[in-house]
Amino acid sequence: MNRTPRLVAAATASTLTLALALTGCGRSDEAGTTAEGSGGSTNSIPDGPATGTIEVWAMGTEGELLPELAEQFEADNPDVTVNVTPVPWESSTEKINTAIATGEVPDVMQVGTTLVSGFVELGGLAPTPQEIDSAAFFPGAWDTTVVDGTSYGVPWYVETRVLYYRKDLADKEGLAAPKTWADLTAFAAGLQDAGAEHGIALQTRGNSTALMYLPFYWQAGGEIMDAAGDFTLDNDAQVKALEYYSSFMRDGLAPPVLVEDEKVQNFIDADLGSFVSGPWERANLLTTAGDDFADKFGVAPLPEDEATGSFIGGSNLAVLADAENPDAAWKFVQFTTDPATQVDWFGISSDLPAVQTSWDDPALADDEAVAVYQDVLETARSTPAIPTWAEIEHELDLVIEQVIAGDLSPEDAAKQMQDAATSIGTGLD
Amino acid sequence: MRRSSARRRRTGLTAWGFALPFTALFAVFMLLPVVSSLYMAFTDMRGADLRTTWAVNFVGFDNFVEVLADPKFQQAAGNTIYFVGVAMPLTLGIALLLAVLLNSGLVWFRSVFRVGFYAPVVTSIVAVAVVWRFLLQPDFGLVNSALGVVGIDGPRWLTDEAWAMPSLIVMATWRNVGYLMVILLAGLQGIPRDVYEASAIDGAGPVRQFRSITVPLLRPTLLFCAVITGIGYLQFFEEPFVMTQGGPLGATNSVAYEIFNQFGFGNYGLSAAMSYVLFVAIVILSYLQFRLLRTEK
Repeated sequence: MNRTPRLVAAATASTLTLALALTGCGRSDEAGTTAEGSGGSTNSIPDGPATGTIEVWAMGTEGELLPELAEQFEADNPDVTVNVTPVPWESSTEKINTAIATGEVPDVMQVGTTLVSGFVELGGLAPTPQEIDSAAFFPGAWDTTVVDGTSYGVPWYVETRVLYYRKDLADKEGLAAPKTWADLTAFAAGLQDAGAEHGIALQTRGNSTALMYLPFYWQAGGEIMDAAGDFTLDNDAQVKALEYYSSFMRDGLAPPVLVEDEKVQNFIDADLGSFVSGPWERANLLTTAGDDFADKFGVAPLPEDEATGSFIGGSNLAVLADAENPDAAWKFVQFTTDPATQVDWFGISSDLPAVQTSWDDPALADDEAVAVYQDVLETARSTPAIPTWAEIEHELDLVIEQVIAGDLSPEDAAKQMQDAATSIGTGLD
Repeated sequence: MRRSSARRRRTGLTAWGFALPFTALFAVFMLLPVVSSLYMAFTDMRGADLRTTWAVNFVGFDNFVEVLADPKFQQAAGNTIYFVGVAMPLTLGIALLLAVLLNSGLVWFRSVFRVGFYAPVVTSIVAVAVVWRFLLQPDFGLVNSALGVVGIDGPRWLTDEAWAMPSLIVMATWRNVGYLMVILLAGLQGIPRDVYEASAIDGAGPVRQFRSITVPLLRPTLLFCAVITGIGYLQFFEEPFVMTQGGPLGATNSVAYEIFNQFGFGNYGLSAAMSYVLFVAIVILSYLQFRLLRTEK
């Protein structure tokens, strides 16, 4: 009767022993799995029209709208079928990780700019062929495809952060859009004189606080990593930027604890003078407040200090390392990043083109609300393409929150940021 | 002798044959994941090792040492203990009170109340979160408006370091009290009425009856409720996830939330180790509850 427990125990023990025996081997020498096709752009795109079936995964709105663009591609290449599968953003990372681990992958995939390194670390993405011209894209956007010196994928569309402000309040006080740090402080104070409860809103806690803060660090002349790939977070620029960022909350120019959900409503009610956000916010404001509201607010680049700087986000298109139809897949990617197609896609989705020459098209150049982004995008940057960035960013979020609460001095905070980043490491070996 | 042993072996084989489908399913879907997660806790596995899960280094107890020395984990553990320590007795107490009241026949519209108290249990946490965020909204929320009427300036519930956890405790209690109430109500109805009648003849008042009859006879039910609530509350996750994201300044970060974060960052080894620390805590708490509430022979 007491055989069952012993059997189970024996099975468990043998599984464990097996596990331990196998782990005895440990990691192989070529630590990262990035080794696959690491010779850079050895693959190339053949000539002639694309054939066969291309499976594409795209997320959110892009997933819903992409079939419209795919029809054009199918019209140009009669022997090709493009199947677009929309994937919700929330579950995309797990879904893609599973797909890569099991080898059941699509041919082309939309990859959020900050997620590239994670999929590369898994060995999931194919290196970009040499036919793709890196110089055609905004440099900050191209950088998001590069992991450890090799590019994986092509920038598809971009977004960046700018200052949204109440034009009516600014006009009342005769304020021009701020150009420097000192301007921005005076601007926020002026908007408060004009009746706003708070002159500006900056994120004070929670996910992506660091993304809101880092542009100020870049403006102060800071860099997250140096050319050798070491973190450089503990320096005067960090102290200066933290001091400047937290000064808004301390001096009553920004809410000491920002509730994100209330931001837009407060802005519409003129209780809030300005805030930092991306291109999607315009549509959001107009749907909430009505089209008349367009006259009441303006959009300006973030101020500059030692340098200009903003955050560049968006999505890339990548071909999977295990793709069944890589040739046609790259052709499709090439097609979507063609300057003319990029303008078409802007018309379909309002996504901002990642290709610089597309911005000369009247559809973008003549639209004031859009043209402001072009200059910002030229110098905007992304966070480092390292697999551990999400974890480091989480640490930065927590440190910045403490500085704003007054629990930590900017000097100690800069040191803590550096220590946290160094102890987590780049994950690239 | 030999015949009987042969028959016994045959019966054993038949029994195993019947048990095989379950055993196989159990081994593949329960035992294997448990064993591999334990294995994971002793290795330096990261998200990038998904394709080559065996090619990782065995690191012994390093993950556990790192977890226990991590100030963020310590804060999360402290928060979890705070939450369980306050919310568990509170939930049990209120559930018992409601169950006794509903059972006593003092209340009109009994079924309306039963449904009312049970509704939060079956409502999606997403909907609950939206409603509670409105309730706790600092400027125009119902709670602070009500406090304003009596001249109290309510705090910013969810973004105040001292008030965020109490807010979540109240919310969790509200969500879980209905379930325990239903279980306790069933337990109360299992107590024979004549015990109460006999004690009434002996001159026992309602308080005495509650102390000397209801609570002792309800012990097995109370034990069940305490264990279920303890296990659920130690894995405190949904409320901070939807309401505060562990903030402000980590005041509502729980062990389960920290595990979730570390898994998200791809630190599989580390988060598996955290999970086993939590598992041990659950075992200890449940053991204590069994010791404290077991039925005396």
